[in-house]
Amino acid sequence: MSDDRSTPSAGDDRELVVRAQAGDMAAFEELVRRHQQGLFSYLYRMCRNSSDAEEVAQAAMIRAWEKLAGFRGASSFKTWLYRIGTNLCLNLRTRRKPVEELPETLAAPDSERPEQAYQQKMREDAVQGALAELPADQRAALVLSVYQDMSYKEIAETMGKTVRAVDSLLFRAKTNVRKALAEDRAKGVI
Amino acid sequence: MSNKAMNCRQVKRLLPPYQDKELSGRAPDEIAAHLASCPACRSELEALTADIGLLQQAGAPEVTPFLATRVMAEIRQRHVAPRRAFRPGWVLSVAAGVMLVALSLGVGTLVGSGLAQGSTSATGDDIYATATADPSLDTYQSLMGGE
Repeated sequence: MSDDRSTPSAGDDRELVVRAQAGDMAAFEELVRRHQQGLFSYLYRMCRNSSDAEEVAQAAMIRAWEKLAGFRGASSFKTWLYRIGTNLCLNLRTRRKPVEELPETLAAPDSERPEQAYQQKMREDAVQGALAELPADQRAALVLSVYQDMSYKEIAETMGKTVRAVDSLLFRAKTNVRKALAEDRAKGVI
Repeated sequence: MSNKAMNCRQVKRLLPPYQDKELSGRAPDEIAAHLASCPACRSELEALTADIGLLQQAGAPEVTPFLATRVMAEIRQRHVAPRRAFRPGWVLSVAAGVMLVALSLGVGTLVGSGLAQGSTSATGDDIYATATADPSLDTYQSLMGGE
C-alpha cells in the first residue's frame, strides 16, 4: 500500500513553488495540501506515533515556507520537504529519551470478520515492530522506498546520501526486516 | 559487469535493486538468466517479494484534515501579520510629521499673540498671560473646580 496516493509529479509542483516563492500563500497552501498525507505517513513510520508525526509534519512545512526563497529546485519540492522532515524527526528523537511507544489502532476492527481482523492486526504489529528495530537511516530508506515509491536517486536526495549508500542501506534494511519477520513466523505470530 | 556469469552470492546481493528495477546495463538480463536456471535464487526472490508485500499491507493513519489549516494559520501569524501590523519606519515618520505640525502651530499661535500685543518676542510672562486669557481654560478650571 503506497502512501503516495495523490502526490503529484515534480513538474506539477514546480509552478506552485515559483508562485509561492513570489509570496503567493495560496500556492504554498496547495503544496501543503498535496504533500500532507504522504509526509505525515512517512513521519508516522519514522516517529512511530501520530502526535509526533503531526508535530514534525507541521514544523517541516513551516520550515519549508521559511526556507523557500533558498530552494533552487535542484531536487524536487517533495524530496526537499521530506529531507526537512527527516532532519526534524531525527533531531526530535535525539532530544527525547527513548519511550515505550504504544501500537496505535489504524482502523476499527471488522466486527463481522474478527478472525481476519485479528490476523491483520498481528501482521501490522509485526511489520511495525520490524521497522522499529531498524536503525533510523535504514528505516528512512526502506519507508521512502516501500511506502513513498521513491527511486534510489530520490531517496539519496532526501537523505543527503549517494545512490550507492542508499542501495547499501536498503540491502541491510531488507535483510534485517526479513530476519525479524522470519522470527515472528517461527513463533507463529504471523 | 564481467562476461562471467553471476554466481548465487552476487545475485542475492543484487536482488533488492533488481526487484526495485534500479539496475541498468546488462545486470537485469544476467540476473533473469540466472533466476531461470537457479531454483534457490528464484525462491529467495519470491520470499523477498512476499515480505515487501507484507510491509506494503501495513497502513498508516489518515492525517488530520486540519493540518494544512494549522500550518497556514501559523505561517500567517508568524510571517505575514507582524509585517502588516508593525512597520516602525512608517509609524515613526508619521509620528514625527504630526509632532512637527503641532509644534509649528503652537509656536505660530504664541508668536502671533505676542505680535498682537505689540511685542517682538514672547517672554515667559507674555506666554502665561496669553494662556490664562484663553476662555477655554476658564471652562476647564470651572469644570475641575480650580480657581
